[in-house]
Amino acid sequence: MADFFLQALGQVGSPMVLALITIGVLFGIIGGCIPGFTVTMAILVVFPFTFAMDPVSGVSLMVGVFVGGYSGGLVSGVMLGIPGTPSSITTVYDGYPMAQKGEPGRALGIGVAASFIGTLISVAVLVFFGPLIASYSMKFRPWEITSLIVFALTLVAGLSNGALLKGLLAAALGLLITTVGYDRNSNLRFDFDLPILGSGFEILPVMIGIFAFSQLMGNLEKLRDDKSDIREVNTDVSIPYRQILVDMSRQKINTLRSSLIGSLVGALPGTGGTVANFISYDQAKKMSRHPERFGTGIPDGIIASEASNSAVAGGAFVPTLALGIPGDLPMAIMMGVLILHGITPGPLMFEQNPVLVGAIYASLLIGAVVMVISQLLLVRWFAKISLIPQQVLVPVVLMLCAVGAFALNNNLFDVWVLFIFGILGYLLWKAEVPLTPLILGVVLGDNMERQLFRALELDSSWLTFLTRPLSALFLALAVVSLIVSLYQNRKIRLHALATKGGDA
Amino acid sequence: MLMLTKDRALALAMMLMAGILLVESGNIPPPTSWQPYGSALFPRILLVVIGALSLLILIRSLLVGAKRPDTPRRTFPQWLAHNRTVLGLFLLFGLYAALLPLVGYIAATLGFLVTAFAWLLGIDTRRKWIINLAVSGILVPLVYVIFRYGLNVWLP
Repeated sequence: MADFFLQALGQVGSPMVLALITIGVLFGIIGGCIPGFTVTMAILVVFPFTFAMDPVSGVSLMVGVFVGGYSGGLVSGVMLGIPGTPSSITTVYDGYPMAQKGEPGRALGIGVAASFIGTLISVAVLVFFGPLIASYSMKFRPWEITSLIVFALTLVAGLSNGALLKGLLAAALGLLITTVGYDRNSNLRFDFDLPILGSGFEILPVMIGIFAFSQLMGNLEKLRDDKSDIREVNTDVSIPYRQILVDMSRQKINTLRSSLIGSLVGALPGTGGTVANFISYDQAKKMSRHPERFGTGIPDGIIASEASNSAVAGGAFVPTLALGIPGDLPMAIMMGVLILHGITPGPLMFEQNPVLVGAIYASLLIGAVVMVISQLLLVRWFAKISLIPQQVLVPVVLMLCAVGAFALNNNLFDVWVLFIFGILGYLLWKAEVPLTPLILGVVLGDNMERQLFRALELDSSWLTFLTRPLSALFLALAVVSLIVSLYQNRKIRLHALATKGGDA
Repeated sequence: MLMLTKDRALALAMMLMAGILLVESGNIPPPTSWQPYGSALFPRILLVVIGALSLLILIRSLLVGAKRPDTPRRTFPQWLAHNRTVLGLFLLFGLYAALLPLVGYIAATLGFLVTAFAWLLGIDTRRKWIINLAVSGILVPLVYVIFRYGLNVWLP
């Protein structure tokens, strides 16, 4: 593997790829620091630019956006008190008060340093566990893979904030979308005699349409309902390097613990940076000798939040690369990039494309370094950019989505697919249907059907899914995740009723 | 009288879709002699799951009852007025997609951006016009150049 890593480092170290990583990191930070834009949106916007690139360049650019995006939420969180991304909500708890006390440079510096260390630790986790899980999952046969996909989808659906039924519905709908057009036996399905539907829907315009439209239109609706969106920011920031070194050296355990929490949470399906930063902040507070000071502007809180949300970047790659199952939206899109370049993520990737795997490791490491330099040098500009109004941002992103959808196959039909799924995504979002299970369903649909049929061709009995131990284990875990989710939903409902009763 | 809530509308729409597609799945060729199951199996499983989940959502919604809305119910014209920004933008995007093959990327995109900025930002001050035209004027050719010459992708 070391040979392949050096080979990958050679490719990633070329001026062109380094420039792409830098552009990716800068764009990621900008995307992350604009409230309401999110890391996922930044990745979606950059995705079309990778079409014409070779796999290493495309993946390096995307990894750059990941690394930058997860650290970008810090800027608006500290400077404006508004988290740029959901994964930096807890950064605001201590970052903003520290900035208000006249130390914005210290808050930003601590956040950047914690993000950097978090990313490095998560790369170590990826390098160690990725091949380990991949080599173990080589034993998986079609029954195990089908059951694993079912488990991943039920887990993601179950984590949909009290909307289990809608989450499952969304996952089934996502899988159904992939059945349109010719199947593996060259039989046409659901084409309604329209030749254009024969080739089915491309993943990309479907994903962008569903996610981007609902997100962007949601931002506009928020703007309509909340008129108090006038913000001012003081961009006169200087970074006290010595102080930050002292702060970081006092927080070694917190940094390590938070980074490991981020890596672990990142590797679980359906969680991501938002869950990671809450768990990590909560743990840091519980383990602290002075929990009462959390929320008043102390380094502990910023480190817990930023180290964990940045560590998600590396951790999230583990199931995507090792099992071919993305855990969250950014990873689903990353998997789309790999598929687009003819690479199938999964256990075989470590054997068949070791250089590309090495390039992902190297891009994460280089991206982390570029992120630190960019944040420290350009922080005042990022703070200014975070003030770009949604009214300017939304049309620009919609235009880039349309161009990206067209560029995929030089086909206008894909722009219409984007639009139709945009309307569908918006309507589902309005009906409070979680969209993450739907998008994961779209990404995993083809593979799930392929594996299911392989299993049934090898043994036509459905009972084999239950008689093979690992397959049965995954299905049992799927059932457990549904039961736990039902229990949690009930708790949420009872709590809501109790609160309502208390208010009355 | 039963109210059409979000959940009920979702459940009914999904059940209708599942019903139509189940009927349509009858047109999928049956399995050949060497296939244990045909091409219609997977989508039919999904359609049954979607139908069952929709039914559960509908039943739950009927059992819980309709939540009293926080704001008074809007009439259709009021609803249109309240959502005009989003609806207008959807309409504009549809128009943009339709115009792309007819007038080409540059003209269609310029038209889309200028109109969308005017729609969202407003046109009441000179500053807004400057932002509108500057962003549109810079971005449209920039994206064209990146795709055409940097990435070798022909735009319409």
